[in-house]
Amino acid sequence: MPYKVIEDSPADFRERLFLPEVIRGVGIIAKQFWRNFFLQRDPNPDILLRKTPTVTIQYPEEKQPYPPGYRGLHRLVPREDGKPRCVACYMCATVCPAQCIYIEADEVEGDPIEKYPKRFVIDELRCVVCGFCVEACPKDAIRMDTGEHAPPTYTREGQLLDEKALLRGAPVSYQYDPWLRRGATAVDPKKLEEMRQRAKPFPAGATDELSQTPGFSVRQLAAEAKGRGA
Amino acid sequence: MADEQKPSAPQAAAPKPAPPPGPPAPPPPKNPGMVTLTIDGKEAVVKPGTLVIEAARQVGVDVPHYCYHKRLTVAANCRMCLVEMSNSPGGKLQPACQATVAEGVAVKTETPKVKDQQRAVLEFLLLNHPVDCPICDQAGECKLQDYYMSYDQQASRLDMPKLVKSKRLPLGPTVTLDNERCILCTRCVRFMREVAKAPQLGVARRGSRSYITTFPGQPLDSKYSGNVVDICPVGALTSTDFRFQGRVWFLSSARSICTGCSRGCNVHLDYMRDSTYRLRPRECEAVNQEWMCDQGRTTFKPWNTDRVLQARVGRGEAKAARRAEAVAQAAARLQESAAKGQLAALFSPGCSLEDLLAACAVAKGLGLTEVYVGGRPDGWQDEFLKRADENPNRRGLELAAAAAGLAVRSIAELAKAIADGKAKALWAVGSKVPSPTAAAVFARLETFVCQASSQDDVARAATVLLPQAPVPETDGTFVNFAGRAQRFERAYPPRGESRPGWALCAELGQALGQATAWTSAREVFQALGRGLALGDFTWDLPPASRARALSPAPAGTVDGRLPGYRESADKVAADIRAKVTG
Ligand code: SF4
Ligand code: SF4
Ligand code: SF4
Ligand code: SF4
Ligand code: FES
Repeated sequence: MPYKVIEDSPADFRERLFLPEVIRGVGIIAKQFWRNFFLQRDPNPDILLRKTPTVTIQYPEEKQPYPPGYRGLHRLVPREDGKPRCVACYMCATVCPAQCIYIEADEVEGDPIEKYPKRFVIDELRCVVCGFCVEACPKDAIRMDTGEHAPPTYTREGQLLDEKALLRGAPVSYQYDPWLRRGATAVDPKKLEEMRQRAKPFPAGATDELSQTPGFSVRQLAAEAKGRGA
Repeated sequence: MADEQKPSAPQAAAPKPAPPPGPPAPPPPKNPGMVTLTIDGKEAVVKPGTLVIEAARQVGVDVPHYCYHKRLTVAANCRMCLVEMSNSPGGKLQPACQATVAEGVAVKTETPKVKDQQRAVLEFLLLNHPVDCPICDQAGECKLQDYYMSYDQQASRLDMPKLVKSKRLPLGPTVTLDNERCILCTRCVRFMREVAKAPQLGVARRGSRSYITTFPGQPLDSKYSGNVVDICPVGALTSTDFRFQGRVWFLSSARSICTGCSRGCNVHLDYMRDSTYRLRPRECEAVNQEWMCDQGRTTFKPWNTDRVLQARVGRGEAKAARRAEAVAQAAARLQESAAKGQLAALFSPGCSLEDLLAACAVAKGLGLTEVYVGGRPDGWQDEFLKRADENPNRRGLELAAAAAGLAVRSIAELAKAIADGKAKALWAVGSKVPSPTAAAVFARLETFVCQASSQDDVARAATVLLPQAPVPETDGTFVNFAGRAQRFERAYPPRGESRPGWALCAELGQALGQATAWTSAREVFQALGRGLALGDFTWDLPPASRARALSPAPAGTVDGRLPGYRESADKVAADIRAKVTG
């Protein structure tokens, strides 16, 4: 059996009296209360690294970072020149079981990738956070590695994230990217060279680890957010 | 064995030398006049001279092929169709698209040898192929994708950079070429030479560096160039108009008829939700084989934009009105002017037979004895498909008018009647008119009831405007110039307040106190069109009487493509779009 069954020992006389146990419980609460009230609290959002024994997180001032691989808010991965990696292939929109991705494609000049998303809207309310879109994307252009969840809004429309809201985070280049291999007249040659330098080989297998951009950690993000006073 | 067949010297000395041994005499045909062969164990009986690939198709064996097209000459250059044939010398594989059938031959299409060959051919075709399916419009209907999945499924072994060729090359006004994706099957070259009779495409250079090109300084501007997009088995030739407009797997397809001219080419109307995305020719041996002209391909544009979606009463400061109100108004005006003998009716040959049958019945009920014929002005014509008359249903209008006992008059006579003051009120079904000045004339009429689908000058001149649904939003029939009646089916329900022409006529008729309570185009045809001389035309398309629920059942299995399975995906998209832009 993979787990152990613990059977409660029968309550003894003191427990059956009830009152002593209630007093003991109130005592524990009071101890924690006064400790939190008077003692210095370590505000490190990573509770595992806290120096003090308090574990309460003062949400929403403090936020617990999510573990790597957590499917957070979507982002459209940018290239170094600020354009989206997305080529508007509709794979994510096709696979999305909630059918919440809306794309309008258009043509772009001066780039070997002729197609780009003129509109790219995700309805975060409709999204079931399955991550299929990330899996389906052939260009590693959509990720859920922001470590955030959809921010609360007062209107439903606020949950419609468009290409401007989605395009953020660390840029990514792969050596096989056509704009690096073939050049792109719309990109400054120096910038292109820089992009080539930063490009990495395409991961052979997609794992959670690999779908995290190196140097793009949720913990760091949380720290940054904290620094901004968010 | 060779020794046995060698004629021996003593025999040569005999007075009558034996005939030199040739191939064994062919066995007597099993079915006289026909050739009998087996294909994958199935017996096929076909006419002599049939290609093996066609014989295979007859017994339900699909031989993969790229360059072969049944309406073009055989090029046999892609080698995808190689099969084993028992009569081939040395057991070599034979191209099924070029080899003809022979008595008693056993054809095998699934042996390991054939499979190896197919895999090898695909590997070669894909060697320099960019596989940029994410930005390729052909994805979803690409033979390279299909055959890769069925016959290849191995990773590329090329470890050097692929050949770089020109991408996104506009060949002419309608076609964009991506040379990297081309597999050099030369279907397009042969089409332009043999069918379009305008040899504007050719192959330049040699070997893996060959590419498709036009002649210097001469664009691909044939009026039939759009067809090369359809016959290109891969995404090398794509339609400039449809480019990046949508993914084909979201589209459903309805069987329709082109409204571009009186030829009435059979088309697939590819649609998603309530928009038409493209027209593609549909096979019809008697009318258009499987081609259509470029002008016909653009005829769907007015169905998507600048539509009349609401009824309107009054000119100028006109206000949108509810359709029922507008119909009541229109009926009152028509009745009034008909009673005074001042009413004229202008019917467009761009409307369906059912619209016109209903309109003629209502006109008859109003006491009219003649109708004027509107419609688009004549355009260019050629010997192939395009007819000068750019209205799909002139014959239908004549038939409908004759059946109702109405005389047919030209629009010039209408202008004269209006100028003479004989006609003071006009009822138009369809807003297309051949003369550009007509709208100005109509704008001076005191009553002009117009059933229109597009916001054009004529529609703007109306005093009562009724929104009429265009072709994709209704069932109907067109009678082409040769008197052939052809059905088109409804793709999606009418947009906005608009209703099919026959339904508006039925509403008008009912407001006029006539018995015109038809509820479907079929009913209109059953009630009014049965006596028409339409040959052996039957209204119901196979499969008969497709049940339509509130949302249209996806059509489109006609060409073997799965129907668009995401009817609701675009609905969501529309919701999102409304919120985002609204
Ligand atoms: S996570 Fe799932 S539901 Fe959400 S957008 Fe991606 S595919 Fe759609
Ligand atoms: S799958 Fe990727 S590249 Fe394709 S549309 Fe979605 S985000 Fe863009
Ligand atoms: S032609 Fe287009 S869809 Fe077909 S395999 Fe090539 S890139 Fe993909
Ligand atoms: S462009 Fe298309 S039809 Fe023409 S040769 Fe190339 S693959 Fe064949
Ligand atoms: S189809 Fe037979 S060789 Fe191309």
